[in-house]
Amino acid sequence: MKIKKEKVFPFIIAFIFSLFISGAFSQTVQAEKGDENDPYLITTDVTYAPFEFQNDEGEYIGIDVEILAAIAEDQGFYYELRPMNFSAGLQALESNQVDGMIAAMSITPEREESFDFSNPYFEAGPVLAVREDNEEITSYDDLDGKTLAVKVGTTGAQLANKLAEDYDISINQFEDSATMYEDVAAGHSDGTIDDYPVMAFAIQNGLSLKFPTDPEPGDVYGFAVNKGRNPELLEMFNAGLATIYENGTHEQITSQYLGEDTEVAEETGFFGLLADVFPDLMNGLWRTLVLTFVAFAISLVAGTVIGLFSATPSRVLNIISDIYVTVLRGIPLIVLAFFMYFSVPQLFNIQINAFTAGIVTLSLNTTAYIAEQVRGGIAAVPVGQLEAARSLGLPYAVSMRKVVLPQAIKIMIPSLINQFVITLKDTSILSIIGIVELTQSGRIIIARTYESGAMWIIVGAIYLTIITLLTKVSATVERRISND
Amino acid sequence: MTKLKTINLKKNFGDLEVLKDISTEIYEGEVVVIVGPSGSGKSTFLRCMNLLEEVTAGKVIIDDIDLTDPSQDINAVRENIGMVFQQFNLFPHLTSKENIMMAPKYLQDVPDDEIEARADRLLETVGMEDKADAYPRALSGGQKQRVAIARALAMEPDIMLFDEPTSALDPEMVGDVLEVMQKLAKEGMTMVVVTHEMGFAKEVADRVIFMDEGYIVEEGTPEQVFNNPQNKRTKDFLDKVLI
Repeated sequence: MKIKKEKVFPFIIAFIFSLFISGAFSQTVQAEKGDENDPYLITTDVTYAPFEFQNDEGEYIGIDVEILAAIAEDQGFYYELRPMNFSAGLQALESNQVDGMIAAMSITPEREESFDFSNPYFEAGPVLAVREDNEEITSYDDLDGKTLAVKVGTTGAQLANKLAEDYDISINQFEDSATMYEDVAAGHSDGTIDDYPVMAFAIQNGLSLKFPTDPEPGDVYGFAVNKGRNPELLEMFNAGLATIYENGTHEQITSQYLGEDTEVAEETGFFGLLADVFPDLMNGLWRTLVLTFVAFAISLVAGTVIGLFSATPSRVLNIISDIYVTVLRGIPLIVLAFFMYFSVPQLFNIQINAFTAGIVTLSLNTTAYIAEQVRGGIAAVPVGQLEAARSLGLPYAVSMRKVVLPQAIKIMIPSLINQFVITLKDTSILSIIGIVELTQSGRIIIARTYESGAMWIIVGAIYLTIITLLTKVSATVERRISND
Repeated sequence: MTKLKTINLKKNFGDLEVLKDISTEIYEGEVVVIVGPSGSGKSTFLRCMNLLEEVTAGKVIIDDIDLTDPSQDINAVRENIGMVFQQFNLFPHLTSKENIMMAPKYLQDVPDDEIEARADRLLETVGMEDKADAYPRALSGGQKQRVAIARALAMEPDIMLFDEPTSALDPEMVGDVLEVMQKLAKEGMTMVVVTHEMGFAKEVADRVIFMDEGYIVEEGTPEQVFNNPQNKRTKDFLDKVLI
């Protein structure tokens, strides 16, 4: 029974690190790229209909997705689709997190400096769109004093910036098209500039926007690889593209999404919508819960260790704890997520999948807060308790474990429950690196259904229900603990 | 025979010199009561005796063991020194009996039933046997302090330190606690007591030490110190407390 706590710390730390590392390195590069065991990782936008979006079954479809599938089949290579937000996708490609990107990406001179592009597989130009009932804006001249919504890093955004040089235009930046359209439909922005085919498709499917001007001359879309990387993949893409142009597959795919006979989304009503999207939302909720529970469990252990560091008489451990808490509390979660997902792979030349990066990010962040709660809990135990234990001859570690910590934990429980709720809600931020948790599921569904009003109510209600349930359970646990 | 000895003991808190130069000896079986105005350093002096306060300079020697020697295992020495606090400091998450059994269970290689028997015996000694399974929150101040004394005795120490053991008690509780302490003194325990209970000092103490401003100003039998103080500061203090 006389285990010294000082000797247990290193094992706990080693254990936590081994967890992180085993997760992080599970995807390291293997011998033959593009075969069944080691498929190419190709990123696409999460939602950019008609180029990439999820259908009712949760499968990715769209022009990009089907062109890629047709080319891969023709050329006989394997790939895995990794949908993430467009700007995150660019970073992922740049940091070699993925091998290629097909995301309705215009080939521009700037991008050609960073990436190698395939031959064009689609031609489209950006176009201005305003609300259906907007009679005020009929040309670019009417944009003076107005607000435009654009998607970060797109040619639409470039056009908006160019227009802003001539007119007094304020620009709202968005990460995905659906939110951007809703911003216009809701009247927050006066107009938006996005690729013509995308908006044409959305309008056909019920989006109440219209085009006051003609589309700009066409940009061409290309498939991209990182500069100088995966040349064989680019070659195969070009060869496959030639084939599908020739045999009519390309024509068939594009007309399926842009032709006259495009299916119009059914009007289903609130409960119809709910029934329709329920499986997707439950999948998202499941990921949210896994992220929360795994990250919180790791943080409880690591946070207790770091928190104890600050309570020990050792100056060095105090400082380590202090630095950890200061640094990790001082970095916004979203920045930390980008750092884990983009910077760490570049710095250490490893691949980290989004889910692992998400858990590590959330754990690092939550650990800092739990460490503070542990420190506060220990500080709230009267100093006489430790003195009484030490005066009996009990060593420091035993005194902490048997006398101080049991009292500190009781003090900490309410703030730990609070932290758990915060961690659960913070998972939504991880959607930024392409984890399809509950919030991202909602966003994807909106991109398909254009029902943002109802969807955010549903998503909010799910969070509220889950958090209320979990809080009730924890309150019961708390009562049990305080009663003994 | 000398049980505990301090040699030129000094203790600073930052720039504040709390103990300036204290040398004294406490003999086996002796009951020493330390009195003095608040801020005179008497509690700090007591807390230096088991190194709850790190000493700034000087030595604390118990049974020829130098506590201030950095290579000395302080935990082993503390097992032999029981301490009773003004605020009791009972462990609130443990029952009376568990409070007493805690240290022996971790530190002594003795079967649990023997430790339990010892705890029962100690509870009887302090008259708390019927509250063995009660948690501290269900006890009165006087009851808490008696359990705390039993806990301090659990490692079977041969010195007991009392840091104002009755100062936080309602007046009607003080008697029970002093009675237990008197019983201990009769059994021959070496005791150092910081207290304001002059009655107890007169009746039980073998020697009274008067401290002021970090020094031992005067010491002697209760008779000498209380009835015939030599130092003016002792006289002033006694005039104030013995009205």
